[in-house]
Amino acid sequence: MSCGFEEDLTAYVDGELPPVRRAEVEAHLGTCGGCHATHALLRDAVARVAELPAFEPSPATRRAVLAKLDALPEPWWARLRALLRPAVLVPSAGLVAAVAVALVVVGSGSEAPPELADPAVMELAANLELAEDYELLGLDSAEDLEVVANLHELEVLQ
Amino acid sequence: MSDVDVDSDAQAMLKVAAGDRRAFAWLFDRYHGSVARFALRFVGDRERAEELTQDIFVKLYRNAKAYKPTARFKTFLFRVATNHCLNEVRRGEYRVTHTSSETPEGEETGTVEMAGPEGDRPDQALAGRELERAVGAALADMSDRERAAFTMCRFEGMAYRDIAEALDASEAAVKSLIHRATLAVARRIEELRAGTAPARSRA
Repeated sequence: MSCGFEEDLTAYVDGELPPVRRAEVEAHLGTCGGCHATHALLRDAVARVAELPAFEPSPATRRAVLAKLDALPEPWWARLRALLRPAVLVPSAGLVAAVAVALVVVGSGSEAPPELADPAVMELAANLELAEDYELLGLDSAEDLEVVANLHELEVLQ
Repeated sequence: MSDVDVDSDAQAMLKVAAGDRRAFAWLFDRYHGSVARFALRFVGDRERAEELTQDIFVKLYRNAKAYKPTARFKTFLFRVATNHCLNEVRRGEYRVTHTSSETPEGEETGTVEMAGPEGDRPDQALAGRELERAVGAALADMSDRERAAFTMCRFEGMAYRDIAEALDASEAAVKSLIHRATLAVARRIEELRAGTAPARSRA
């Protein structure tokens, strides 16, 4: 049967109709045998479903989920935040400079003066960031230089 | 649920977005049961429901930054849950395996096996299992969205408005989904009551 009210009967049982429509359905139920029977059927079904026993989920899920979170890669924003720490950023700027120097060296190819192939010079280029750290921080005492050179160790200890 | 609880959920979720694992564990403890029940009713298989539940919470953690406190947390959670379950079923990862009416009596199906009503009388427990089977058969025959809406409404007591938000549908559409689903369950129960006789035709 389709009398225009049938579609609203479940919402009526659930108390989900606005007051005006609810009153209309109520009045209709007194006059329509089909809707009256369907309403009784729906009301009974809702009550029976509510009687079904509750499902108790496995307590092992909590452990499994937390283990999965531990295995997740760090999100990009956390990685970015880590990279933006001064202790990382400053040496990184030096590294970029070192890479730039290395690129110039490679890029200049055969025209490079022979002394740039010297291993000692290459070593200096690779460690430019340290030299830059000293300059940026305006340090001059041997003790301060020692601290800067071992910044990464301090970080690990924290 | 009180406004204070709702507010606590939102606060906890904001902490989760900032990487707070304890806040996540607190939310997990509060909503684990709801999500697990939803997943179980959705796929009809305990083991698969367990996997889905784990995936849903991991997804919740990873997407915590998408949460805005203007949305009720439970609705947000069920949106994550519903999308995940619908996508997994659509991708063929999971097949809905509720006991169907065609399953021979007494055959092990590996499907939903709730602890029956623990009455002393065997006939009471049998009635519970039969009811479970009838509801399971109706759930298996529903469309995915009908099953999701029905489950949120009947087993979680969610309001139509919240279900509409979780399903990204209008309230009118949700009313229709829940009506069709409830009517299908009602007819199965009527069949059960009438023994093997077919349901009387109506509506």
